[in-house]
Amino acid sequence: MTLETEVEALRKVPLFRGIDETKLRLLAFISERTEYPSGERLCSQGEDGDCAFIILSGAADVLVNTPEGEKKVAQVAENSIVGEIAILCDVPRTATLVAANDMDVLTVSKDDFLKLLKEFPDISLEVMRTLALRLERTTRDLADARRGASGG
Amino acid sequence: MEKSLFRFIWKYSSRQQIFIILVTVLTYPVVYFLLELPKLIVNDAVQGDNFPRDVFGFDFDQIPYLVLLCLTFLGLVVVSNGLKFYLNVYKGRLGERMLRRLRFELFQRVLRFRLPHFRKVSSGEIIPMITSEVEDVGGYIGEAFALPAYQGGMLVVQIGFIFMQDPLLGLAAISSYPIQGYVIPLLQRKVILLSRKRVKNVRVIADKVGESITGVAEIHANDAAAWHSADISDRLYENFKIRYEIFNRKFLIKFLNNFMNQLTPFFFYLIGGYLVIQGNLSIGALLAVIAAYKDLAGPWKLLLSFYQMTADVSVKYQTVVENFDPSDIYDTDRLTSDDTVTLDGDVKFDRVSFSGGAAGQEVMDISLTVPAGGDCAIVGPDGSGRSEVLQLAAGLVSASSGKVFIGDHDLDKLTDATLGREIAYVGGAVHVWTGTIRDNLYYGLRHRPLAPPERVGDDLKNYKRRVNEAKQTKNPIYDLAADWSDLKAAGVGSDEELDQKALELLETVSLDNDIYRLGLQSRFDPSMNDTFAEKILEVRKSLAGRIASDAKLGGLVELWDRDSFNASASLAENLFFAVPSDPEISMDEVPDLEEVKKFLAETGFDEKLQQIGLKIAETMLELFANVSGDSGLLGSYSFINQDDLPEFERIVRIAKSGQQRPGLTDADRSKLTGLAFKLVPARHRLGVMTDDLRDEIIVARKRFLESVVKNGDSFVAFDPDVYLPPLTIEDNLLFGRARVDRRDARRRIDEVIRTIVEETGLRRAIIFAGFSYHVGVSGSRLSAGQRRKIALVRGLLKNAKITILDDIATGLTEDDKILRDGLRQFLSEKTFLYGTSNAEIAAEFSQSIVLDQGRISDKG
Repeated sequence: MTLETEVEALRKVPLFRGIDETKLRLLAFISERTEYPSGERLCSQGEDGDCAFIILSGAADVLVNTPEGEKKVAQVAENSIVGEIAILCDVPRTATLVAANDMDVLTVSKDDFLKLLKEFPDISLEVMRTLALRLERTTRDLADARRGASGG
Repeated sequence: MEKSLFRFIWKYSSRQQIFIILVTVLTYPVVYFLLELPKLIVNDAVQGDNFPRDVFGFDFDQIPYLVLLCLTFLGLVVVSNGLKFYLNVYKGRLGERMLRRLRFELFQRVLRFRLPHFRKVSSGEIIPMITSEVEDVGGYIGEAFALPAYQGGMLVVQIGFIFMQDPLLGLAAISSYPIQGYVIPLLQRKVILLSRKRVKNVRVIADKVGESITGVAEIHANDAAAWHSADISDRLYENFKIRYEIFNRKFLIKFLNNFMNQLTPFFFYLIGGYLVIQGNLSIGALLAVIAAYKDLAGPWKLLLSFYQMTADVSVKYQTVVENFDPSDIYDTDRLTSDDTVTLDGDVKFDRVSFSGGAAGQEVMDISLTVPAGGDCAIVGPDGSGRSEVLQLAAGLVSASSGKVFIGDHDLDKLTDATLGREIAYVGGAVHVWTGTIRDNLYYGLRHRPLAPPERVGDDLKNYKRRVNEAKQTKNPIYDLAADWSDLKAAGVGSDEELDQKALELLETVSLDNDIYRLGLQSRFDPSMNDTFAEKILEVRKSLAGRIASDAKLGGLVELWDRDSFNASASLAENLFFAVPSDPEISMDEVPDLEEVKKFLAETGFDEKLQQIGLKIAETMLELFANVSGDSGLLGSYSFINQDDLPEFERIVRIAKSGQQRPGLTDADRSKLTGLAFKLVPARHRLGVMTDDLRDEIIVARKRFLESVVKNGDSFVAFDPDVYLPPLTIEDNLLFGRARVDRRDARRRIDEVIRTIVEETGLRRAIIFAGFSYHVGVSGSRLSAGQRRKIALVRGLLKNAKITILDDIATGLTEDDKILRDGLRQFLSEKTFLYGTSNAEIAAEFSQSIVLDQGRISDKG
């Protein structure tokens, strides 16, 4: 796969939808292209996060630690970005990622991602918008959950 | 030291000076005959009659007589010029020898300075004194006596001739001398003062430049560049002013001289003309006098300029030497004596006081005893006198009153040979020497040359000459090429045991892992140690085996394989399947190597690579066009850094326009090729690598191996069975590349390498390879902590009776505590003084002495 195909994949990531192509190319270029065979860990809950992952192909299981051991809570699939929270706000990884099948991933290091945001404010805006959307959804989920809890 | 230059010259070269004068006098008759012969040839041989002539009892006809005279003339020309040549070489050699003696004496004096003296002098000032300032002295010494003797003699002869013609004219000839003799020294004195000022000013400039270099990080961190620039600029202006004044005066002196010299003929014509008219002097005599006077001007001028040079050089000499004569300088004996005594017994301070010349650097009335073989902590914050007490105990500084004893020996009376071998001192500010780690570790054992190397043939001849020269100039005859490491002092029997002991100590101070890592990164020459290379190859094989059997591991590396493309390696490595034998050759220089150029042209790869380079350059320009230079993105990811960007912009523009003129230059093409060489396909996914290109590269690779690698020694091919000297030990172990498209591949592979290395017992050998790591200027390639530990091991390796550590491993961390326990254990048989500012740490020691403001406040 070359830069061009990566850009095609990036375009499908909602976070980067509004960003023009040359910047995506730059993002792709400064990212590291890594492969993960099925079962390999991308990151572990609790460790310091120094990069975000953009899944080009394949899928990863999201696991969280519970008293009974690791428990799968979700799966992330192609064209999604994960781990960006850790690089934006310096918190330890909130979950473990394990490759569910053979994966192709673009890894953006924290430093470079921040540099990119600084360099191109429109990417920052897009990130902000996505995060705000997510927050809105989480808030609504939370409200639903509360309502459900009090109702039940 | 001799205060005046002439005393110095006479003391050390009087015999040579007299010899020079004698040879100079010898040239007088030769020169005289040389001037007389042409007259004789013309008047007697050519125009004469009544032949034959009788010469030494032989009769000569006219023609043979002419031939005889001409041959004599030729002989004299050869003799006179030969003498001159001999004399010049002799003078030059004498000057150089004296200069060497002077410089060495100055350096030795620096070594003899007491430590507190270095608070008053700076290296920036001392260095130019020893190097450039005395340079002129060398050229002068050969002439110091000969020139005044020779030219003075000439002058006297000429003046005598004029006086013989007519005393009055003689008086006229020398009439200007008294005035010149009075005025010129007067002016010259001012010039001397100015030169002194200039020399001192230049020293300050040198010092400030040196300081700026040492403190350059501070300059940038504080934005003080403007201040320093202004400071230096000011000094340079000062220099200009002084120089300008010197010029003015120097040329004034010249002007006066010339004027006076041309004034004298005025008297000749007036007085001489009068005398001729009066009939008291023949016209022939007057003309002869005027001719003689012309000959007078030469020597006189030379004498005057010699006088000026003497004044100049003397002042330089004095200005230098006065800095090397502090009243409290150590005896030369202390430095050079080989007398050693054994320092057994207690360390005893008897009412010792010392002042370092500033507040917080003094100790008062200290009395203490540390029993032989005991350990003692000296406790006190910086400025309490702790460091001074420890330096006193090490004999590095001398008490101003009271005495420091070890056993029965007063430290002040001992030589360096005793102090530096019987006592190991490691202070808070350690110095690591430029050189290898090995040099630094064994530095404390290099006191005197022990076993001289065997020399034969030319080597022996050169060595004898070196010793002879050293003796002539009172330089030491220590042999630098000898083996200096004092194994006996370290308590070991062989170099291998010494390495082993150093390794144990490195483990004690837990520096072994650092050195191991440096060892992995270092290169070594397999011709020095075959077995080591073989072992590395064994590890390489077992690693390859493990990689082959373990699929998980196999996914992390791409090993070198002649028949497949390695996407994690650069294009150059893939194309050549070899590396330049000289590891100093960078990727940018490779395209310019003759054999590479030829190979690329033959295979047609030059065009292809340039196209790839062009494509890379274009992509880089496009990607980074809108990125500001200071974001740092460009530096870490692009092939091109910010400074080269405009250059590549130009290249791309020219290439795109397709113009023949101005087309791409060869340098531009090399640049593009270099860019392509650096491409690592798995990392830089620019889409320039096609499957066809991969195949072509693999085909071309074989041709390169056949044509270039086999027939020359500028490249070394990747061969699984051969150790590759240009690669680091680590790269040799792996024989491949960690995959760049696998997360943490490098780290995970390193771990595997480490376990295999440990299993096979290669770790020690790699640490020993790390001993050859070059630490950079003053250890700049090591961290501050590593430098301290190296200095510590250096001190411990000396195996000294008394070990003194100041401010070493004084942390409260577990690591430091273990280190201190280890040190106490290692030094359990020896006297051990340990300086710290922390009372808690001091409690670990069996005895402690607390210092406060230079006095003992508590003993425990």
